[in-house]
Formats: sequence, structure tokens, C-alpha cells
Amino acid sequence: AMAGVGGGGNDFQWCFSQVKGAIDEDVAEADIISTVEFNYSGELLATGDKGGRVVIFQREQESKNRPLSRGEYNVYSTFQSHEPEFDYLKSLEIEEKINKIRWLPQQNAAHFLLSTNDKTIKLWKISERDKRAEGYNLKDEDGRLRDPFRITTLRVPVLMPMDLMVEASPRRIFANAHTYHINSISVNSDHETYLSADDLRINLWHLEITDRSFNIVDIKPANMEELTEVITAAECHPHQCNVFVYSSSKGTIRLCDMRAAALCDRHSKFFEEPEDPSSRSFFSEIISSISDVKFSHSGRYMMTRDYLSVKVWDLNMENRPVETYQVHEYLRSKLCSLYENDCIFDKFECCWNGSDSAIMTGSYNNFFRMFDRNTRRDITLEASRENSKPRAMLKPRKVCTGGKRKKDEISVDSLDFNKKILHTAWHPKENVIAVAATNNLYIFQDKIN
Amino acid sequence: MGARGLKRKVHESNEGEGSVWQSQLQSVLDISWDKFQRDQALVEPSLLRSVLINNTLRQVQSEVRTSLSGISGPRKLQAPPRVLPELRSQRECTPAGLGASICSLGLENMEDDFMAWSTDEDFSLSSAISAILKNLDAALDGGPSVPQRSALASVENIPGDGRYRQSLTFSHKTESCRTSEGGAPASMSGFLQDATIDDLLLDIDTSVFNGEVNSFGSGTFSFPADELVRYLPSLSSSPSAPSSSGSREMHELEHIMDILVRT
Repeated sequence: AMAGVGGGGNDFQWCFSQVKGAIDEDVAEADIISTVEFNYSGELLATGDKGGRVVIFQREQESKNRPLSRGEYNVYSTFQSHEPEFDYLKSLEIEEKINKIRWLPQQNAAHFLLSTNDKTIKLWKISERDKRAEGYNLKDEDGRLRDPFRITTLRVPVLMPMDLMVEASPRRIFANAHTYHINSISVNSDHETYLSADDLRINLWHLEITDRSFNIVDIKPANMEELTEVITAAECHPHQCNVFVYSSSKGTIRLCDMRAAALCDRHSKFFEEPEDPSSRSFFSEIISSISDVKFSHSGRYMMTRDYLSVKVWDLNMENRPVETYQVHEYLRSKLCSLYENDCIFDKFECCWNGSDSAIMTGSYNNFFRMFDRNTRRDITLEASRENSKPRAMLKPRKVCTGGKRKKDEISVDSLDFNKKILHTAWHPKENVIAVAATNNLYIFQDKIN
Repeated sequence: MGARGLKRKVHESNEGEGSVWQSQLQSVLDISWDKFQRDQALVEPSLLRSVLINNTLRQVQSEVRTSLSGISGPRKLQAPPRVLPELRSQRECTPAGLGASICSLGLENMEDDFMAWSTDEDFSLSSAISAILKNLDAALDGGPSVPQRSALASVENIPGDGRYRQSLTFSHKTESCRTSEGGAPASMSGFLQDATIDDLLLDIDTSVFNGEVNSFGSGTFSFPADELVRYLPSLSSSPSAPSSSGSREMHELEHIMDILVRT
């Protein structure tokens, strides 16, 4: 039996469901997926890519007519969110790559999401149109204007059904507030404000107001030569709209309370694990840099991802994490090579399942890892076309760290470091996961689903 | 392996943690230096990456200093850039290795070179690290410093802070969007607030354009761009134009900026 994850102590079995994207060995840079995010209900799944495009998938309603479809995700809307831009004053090109997508909670029939590149955040409205008006007085069916003098009767236009059209339109553009590269956006629980963070500053925005934002954190030193630490990620607390956290390149997390002061340069809580002197190396600082921080759905915990591990922190305990999970400890002896080939700078993300009982994060060779917080069991799975028969169960993978390599194990030196899983997402309510492997999006479901 | 001119001595028995640490120190130094130089060639290196590499370089630097002050006859460390040592092994650098005494190998004749090199290295490393951060600052944030932040006062999206304009070709403005720039006149005044542009424009001898004032208002302006550029001074020249104040000059400057950006 395969080790599984999930609440209730059941063993879940992950099965292949779908894969989106080109099969081509030759990957176009623009097609590389750079962010993945389910919306609040899990009905919609958004991806952003390096080419500045957003693709939204919608889950099919399960029906008796198509029992095999089992809640498949199909393309719902595709649009160009960001274009490459040029900063004339600094002679710099601004990449169109989508760094993050965050959904807004749904308030009416339309869906809203925030997407951001390095410099500009945009609020997009995605709405459906399945009717159109016919029988205009002043124009023909094909849109040509009618001569008003020829009109002898008036008619009332009638709404006629039409093929469903999904339209995406930019409703707000939040620009010119970040000198440095935006790494995070996070919607506040008040549903009116959101924060955006770059390397040195964090700004608070109102969703309705685009021409100004409040700067709430600024760690830029007066003398840039003294800069030794940058902001790497930030997130709003899921329930307390005055609380947010931000992580740093030195492996620290600061929790700030916006009620304490308008400028949150002084933190309310400071989370840092004391360094283990026995594992100190030249790369200690680089591998301690936090690449992602995520609150649990409950709001009691937060999770951080650094290069080799995932840590779960209790918000009431600042001096050490309550849980630490090793993602790929076998890389510790390879840090020099990974520094040389730049892999050590890869920014892996992490995510919680809906009940906060499990966490997931990516690794190399298209492997991704899941940890069950209750049973302390972990599993390594692979996103590959070879395991992509419909509803095929995924086989656990294992990396051989030394000694004799068993059958089906893969040795560390055989790992493909170009196949990295940086972005994963877990359905907010069900055991459905989305895993981005370069230009492909894999969707896996639990067999029992 | 060894550097040209370095006499190899029979002391394999002394090899051990010291040389492991040294070779890793060498590797890290070489790789960091290489990355540092490559990043400097980029127009906009990632700040996170630069900070991490710089901190690693600083760490190497302090290790070198510690080893210099701690022992008497260090083995010569090759100055970068150079051929990377074959000994790029993955042996972990243990704290025992860090603190271990470097074997005194009787290379006193090399010590002077080492001291000289490392002092140079120290100096160039420090200045290099300072330079890269200064350049980053200049590249990313050159110009007037951000205004004093006061509590509960929103900071208007300052043209000086995220200073760029959307390329006119790629504009996403729709009727329902408000961008931070507002209309064109607002963006013009925003640019004029920028000290860099101010300095540039102060140097223009605007008396040249007196004859063309009337044509400004008539729509298309056919003043050739390269002629205009001739009147822009080099950055090092001192202001020579008479500073006639008044809105008329501002008006002309606005038009000049308009043309500069369009051409």
C-alpha cells in the first residue's frame, strides 16, 4: 500500500487526471508556467506564464452523462495580462512574466483576480456573456449604421441566447509604486485592500484606488552599500486584516500589526531558528533564504520554504518552528555545484491542503513532495508524461543517496536539475492538486474522489 | 596541481581538513567572483541574488582575514580570475575545517605574495562589493531620495520612485482604468519634477526656440530631432543658459520633453 496523505487517517492514492501544455521537447521560454492558483471555491484554476499570459481553467460539473470526466478542468479563458515594457529613463526592459496571481473572493457572477509582473499589478474581471441584444434600431445585424432618415418604425431590442463567451477585461492598473521587483501580492481578509511586496518595500493598496498606495514596510538602508538583507515574500493573515508577515533572505520572518503603527518597520513578532553550528557552511545563508511563506487556512500556523526544507511555525512561538520537513537533504553535499549552476537560487513555493493536515512542495527531476503532518509520513511523486495514463495511480519515487541503488530508485547524480517544480497548488476543499512542470500543468486527483 | 612557480613539497601527510577547506574556499571565491562580475555586466541584476552573492563574498573575505590573522604560513591561495581548480569536490566544509589550523607548510617565501594578494583582494573585494551596491542603487533608484514618510500619509505613486512610463505602443489604458499617471499633462509635470530632467533642461539654451514658439501651438512640430539633440549639453557641462523664469519657459520645456519622448 502506498503511503498517503490526508485528513482522517485515510490513505489517499494520487492518480493522474490531466496534463495541459505542449508535448514538445523544445520548450518556448514564454510558455514556462510561473504561477498557479486555485480560486476560493476551487472551481477555477489560473496559471500565469513567462510570456505574460493568464490561462484560466474551469472544472466541469460532474454529470451522469459524462461519468468519466470526473470533474475535469478545461480552458475557460485565456488573455494577455502583461506585455513587455521599456523603462526609457533607465534603459531597462521590464519582463512581462507573471510573478503571482491571487484571486479575489467572489462577490457576484463575475470573477476577479490580481496578476502582477515585476512592476505593475492589474485587477482583471472575468465575466460570462451568453446573451446578446438583437433588433437594434440604429444599426444592422452586421453592425452597419442605418440611415436614421430611413427608419420608419421603432422596435425594442430582444435578448437572444448566444454561444458562451468569457471576457477578461482589466479593471484597475496599479503602477509606478515599486522601484524594485515585486515578489508577492496578497489579498487582505477585508476584501478591500491588498499588499504588494518588492525586495525592499511593502505597499498597501485599496482595490478601488490606483494612483496611490501606502508604504507600510521599508527596509532600504540610507546607504545601499549597507544592504545585506531583502524581502523575499509577504502574505496577509487569512482572518486578521491588520496582520501580515514577510520573510527575508536571511531566513527570518517578521509579523507586523498594522494597528500598532502606520509604518510597520518595527515588527510585532520575529521568527528565526537558531543556526545549527554543525551544519554551517559558506552556503548557509543562501540556503536559509526563504522563498515562500504561506499561512495555514486556520491562521494559527505559517509555513516557510527555504532551499532544502519546509518549516511549519506556530504564530505563538518565535524561537523555532514546530515542524521541519526535509525536502531533498541529499542536495546538501552538492551545494557548491548547485551554487555554480545557479540552482541554489531557485525559488520553490509550498502549499497547504484545505484542512491544513498536509503540505506540498516541489523539487528537481519533476519530483514533488507531500508531507502528512499527523502521521509524519511523506511521499515523493513525479509529474511526467510517462505516468499520464488516465486515472493511473502514481508510483512513489525514491532518491538513492548512497550505497547500492535499488531498483526504481534514482541516484542523486542522475537527477535532472532543469526539470524543477517550483509552483504547486492544492484545491481548497478537495484532494485535487495542480503541479506546474516547466511548460506543462499536471492535475492529479485522489482516487476516492 | 599547483600554480606556476610553486614548488610542490612532499607533505601529503599534512593534507586533510585544511586543504579541503582551502579548496572549498577557493571554489566559492572563484564562483562568487565570476557571478559578481557577470552580474555587473547586466543592466539590472536581481537584488536578492546580488545580496546573497555579496554576502558570500564577504564571508569568504572574513574567512581569509581570519586565516591570515590566525596562522603563520598559509598556503598560497590563487587570486581570481584563474583556472578553476580540479578539486571541485563536494566535501562539506565542516566547522572543524573552518577552525582547523592551516598547515604550516614552510612556504614562507610565498607568504609575502599571499599577504600582498590578499590585501589587494581585500581592498578590491570591499570596494567591489561597495561598488555593486552603489551601482544597483543608482540604476534602480537614482535621483531624489524618496520623500520623508509620514504616518498615515499615503505616498503618491511618485514618478521618481517607480520611474517609468508604459511604452506608448503597449498602453493598456482603457476607459475604466485609472493609471497612476493620469493624463499626459500630469505625466509631463511628473517628469519635470525629476531632478535629473530638471538639470538636463536647465542647460538648454531656450532662446533658440523663441522663434518657434508660435508653431508649438499649431499641432505638428517638425523641428528635427537631431538638431534638438545638439542643444542638449553633455552631462558634465555647467549650466550656461540664462535662467529666465516664467511659465512661458515651462511651457516650452514641456513641449521639448514631449518631442524628445516621441522621437
